[in-house]
Amino acid sequence: MATTKLGFIVQRPGLKSENQKLALTHAIASQSVEIYLDDDDEVLCDVAFIGDGVLNCIKDQKTLENYDLNSTESHVKMGLLCDLNIFVCKEDLEKFGLSESDIVMDANEIGGDMDVRVVPYDEITKMMEEMNHLLFF
Amino acid sequence: MKLVTFVSDYKMTVDTLDRLKPEKLGIILCQNGVFHATTKENGNSSSLLNYTADYYVLKEDLESRGLTAENVVDDKVKVITFGDIVDLMFNEYDKTAWL
Amino acid sequence: MGKLTIGCFASLVGSTNLDFAVKLSAAALEKGHKVDLWVSGNGTMISIEDQRPFKDYSSLQKPLEELMAKGLNVTACEACAEARGYHENNTLEGVKRFSMDWYLGSAFDADRMLHIGGE
Repeated sequence: MATTKLGFIVQRPGLKSENQKLALTHAIASQSVEIYLDDDDEVLCDVAFIGDGVLNCIKDQKTLENYDLNSTESHVKMGLLCDLNIFVCKEDLEKFGLSESDIVMDANEIGGDMDVRVVPYDEITKMMEEMNHLLFF
Repeated sequence: MKLVTFVSDYKMTVDTLDRLKPEKLGIILCQNGVFHATTKENGNSSSLLNYTADYYVLKEDLESRGLTAENVVDDKVKVITFGDIVDLMFNEYDKTAWL
Repeated sequence: MGKLTIGCFASLVGSTNLDFAVKLSAAALEKGHKVDLWVSGNGTMISIEDQRPFKDYSSLQKPLEELMAKGLNVTACEACAEARGYHENNTLEGVKRFSMDWYLGSAFDADRMLHIGGE
């Protein structure tokens, strides 16, 4: 059995580009990657929002209502539903005057068990070190 | 980790490079990032050259902008080719970051 | 020799990011490495056939065909392509189309990976 770990680092706000959405949809695709792998092999994806990228996590996004597009918030929730580790940098949230009450933290309403983890940047550094490959968005 | 980063812009819109803490850092200046190696503003070299890192600049992207190795303002920046990038990625570093 | 997986999400025209990805692929193949190139988002523009080359726009069909003949494995994100009206029947011969898990599957056994994000 072999495991490859990929770290998706989102460092820019969304909607001016596809970056934040594609980071999440690609990470969520780890749920079906086994069709390309041998039995017991796996790809695990962690997602971290850092810098201006934390602004993607503000809750109550009405992108669907205004632009007929799925919101980044909905993709974060789908990631949680798929049991991805999703980190948000604590220092960057605080820099913008935001706290856990301002951002999407769980996916309880769609049956997700995982929570977003607001962590110091040092923990995100540790996650990056544990990954086999990094993808910056 | 041993991380090689690709800097492709002259004006960076992210501060990620400031916060990365690899045990070994390489910085490859490509596309408009090559101006960090060649340009002084008000007499000062780019602050991007102040990291503790090994610096490289892509020859093809220098030449595409009317520049050569002679325009590189700091001796610590080594002019390399795409083939050299491949060797650096496989032999000197284990992870990459396109910023 | 190793395996390099490159992902590029940037448009064919505008940033030269796809040009970079193709040139890096060529250099890696030249050195005997296996190379997978995944294009997603606006990067799927590279997968359309019959693009007329003008010197004012990046034109990568010819080098891509030459590199695929040398073993470059090119796959486009199917959903990203379909969303842009790029369909199976106008896809450049040799370019495959799969869902996003293909990229992760390629990364699984890659010795090195370079992800070039979108604009």
